[in-house]
Amino acid sequence: MPIVQFAPLSSLVEPAFWHALTDLKIDVLRLDDAAVPLTASYAAGRSVTDRETGRAISLGCNLSLGGEAFRPRLQLPPHSVPVAGVFKNFNTIEDFKAADKTALVNAVTDEIWKSIVGERSTAQLSRFLLITFADLKKYKYYYWFAFPAFVAKPAWEIDGEWKAADAEFNEATLETIQKELHTNPRPFFLVRTSSGKPELAPVEEYDTFFANVPEEQHTVAFLDPSAAPANPGWPLRNLLAFLRALHPAATARVRVLCWRDTEPPAAPGGWKSRFGVLHQGAEGLLAEKPAAVGWEKNVQGKLAPRMADLAPMMDPTRLADQAV
Amino acid sequence: MHAIQQQYWAVRDYLSPVLRESKFKEHGRITPEEFVAAGDFLAYKFPVWSWERGDASKARDYLPADKQYLVTRGVPCLRRATALAYTDADEDAERLLSFGDLSSTGNEADEWVETHTGRSTAHDSAANPGEIHEIPDADADDAAGDGGVAGAMGGLSLGDKGVSVGDIPDMDDIPDMEEEDLEADEDEATAAPAASAAGSGGLEPCDVEVAKGNLLQVRTYDVMITYDKYYQTPRIWLIGYDENRTPLTPAQIFQDVSADHAFKTVTIEPFPHSATLQAASVHPCKHASVMKKVIERMNQGVIEEQQARKAAGGAPAQKDKRGKWLFRRASGNGKDDKAGTPSEEDVEGMRVDFYLVVFLKFIASIVPTIEVDSTTAF
Repeated sequence: MPIVQFAPLSSLVEPAFWHALTDLKIDVLRLDDAAVPLTASYAAGRSVTDRETGRAISLGCNLSLGGEAFRPRLQLPPHSVPVAGVFKNFNTIEDFKAADKTALVNAVTDEIWKSIVGERSTAQLSRFLLITFADLKKYKYYYWFAFPAFVAKPAWEIDGEWKAADAEFNEATLETIQKELHTNPRPFFLVRTSSGKPELAPVEEYDTFFANVPEEQHTVAFLDPSAAPANPGWPLRNLLAFLRALHPAATARVRVLCWRDTEPPAAPGGWKSRFGVLHQGAEGLLAEKPAAVGWEKNVQGKLAPRMADLAPMMDPTRLADQAV
Repeated sequence: MHAIQQQYWAVRDYLSPVLRESKFKEHGRITPEEFVAAGDFLAYKFPVWSWERGDASKARDYLPADKQYLVTRGVPCLRRATALAYTDADEDAERLLSFGDLSSTGNEADEWVETHTGRSTAHDSAANPGEIHEIPDADADDAAGDGGVAGAMGGLSLGDKGVSVGDIPDMDDIPDMEEEDLEADEDEATAAPAASAAGSGGLEPCDVEVAKGNLLQVRTYDVMITYDKYYQTPRIWLIGYDENRTPLTPAQIFQDVSADHAFKTVTIEPFPHSATLQAASVHPCKHASVMKKVIERMNQGVIEEQQARKAAGGAPAQKDKRGKWLFRRASGNGKDDKAGTPSEEDVEGMRVDFYLVVFLKFIASIVPTIEVDSTTAF
């Protein structure tokens, strides 16, 4: 049985965010390095067809952070779901380097775990951490994201392999889900088909929603930021941890739908969503907070911060140079 | 000098009157109301586009507060325009898009060259092997970044103690932190960049590189369409990210602009709906005249079609047909086969709602590798 491998989230920071950070740092935070809440978002994974080779190319599994991230009520890009996070800016590069990153990420995982076992809510499942040092004079921003995900022990395995969603669900079901998510995007949801009609519900209603439904019709679904055919996106990890922690009896085997269809398919049968049946041994029960992973790697694939150099787009002298 | 020029533009923009009268068929310019209508249609038909309100202090009062500009994010750009190396063999793929036959100006400047029309997989490795080295980055950061792709693919060598010095010059002694214990080197459930090759249907960008021996750098762009009050046309803005999601420099953005237009019609300018943001923009001074010619052409076809349909009596499967036209760019073949645009019931010609759809097809000729014309991609 192959082990399920999850596609990690990768951060996509719009330049507008760095501008917003600059303003925030100068006008509001100044030397304050307290944590600030912020909101990012992700949408269903996309793939494009290379016109020259005809092959599908998966675009990244992105979490994007826009210029409005610090606003309490931001306007999300269409079909995206919000993700709450913690932002911490350091005043010096030394502080940034010396920061106790383990403690910071632990604080975040504690909150996620508390939201699972305490509030029994999925709202904080994808909570993330961003630490930065902004070198405002040079327009350089050092940053490091963490997308904490609980490690399942033993790892989840999949029966067979991931298959197209329309191999499992009929067109009508998929169309219903598509319509529902089109108007009301949600990160995690449940699907059941009672008397031929598909129904959706929040994951929090697991017990009542699946009360009289045969087990082979329980489906757990999530908005999947990954577009890789064999890799579900990162948010599924914490969703599975949530299910194992709260519904241990029913979730040794989970039918998972990775929802990736923002639009109805152009051609019939062209659904991009994936479906798989995952299982984990009975010993995988969660009594206490499991270990977590999820620091984002830099461009070399190493565990180190990234840097955005915006001097070419922000430095007035360099802009003047290239202007005609 | 540049600052003065920008001030001048700002003043000129401020002073120029808002266009009130609908004249898009006469000279290709549209009113703010028509911009909103066309934008609504675009956002409705292709939901990757959405309205934004932008910076409140920069809001234009002739546009609705929540419909200041249109944006679509993460538009893929698989290859560099500079990588579409132009060889003699490509000449037959080159067509003059002459709009002169309708307006009969006979003026050469009215003709646009559409290149690479019949291009297929031809230009691979052998034709232009050195593509990757052409990136004219002055700073070492980016050069190291490019090498880093290979490093990232090479495996999950998390145990490596030395962080590459070239990457982040000021932070060369970042300790490999204790997170390693928590981290992925033992996490079998993390999909490695290379491990995802296993799938059959889709490919990760890095696999394509390997498979073709030709670096395919999938960049993404955020594309914005604003309304330019002075030129009375839409105006397009680009913010790019490389395959590592680092913002692109102007020089890198110009690689995605066809050589005829880089530095001439495409420049970096302050984005009008933000206090600080800079973005690459296609200068709109020629938009109106080009749009006028495209619209004239299409309008002719639309009217003929509508009359034909009226004569035949009934409006068969109108919705289908429109859909077909809108999704047609798959062939990549340009503008002169667009004549058969079905539109509304009456013989009124092309509706202004289509303006932005047409506009995007025109922009696609300036930035050939950025798939701004999303009508087929999603």
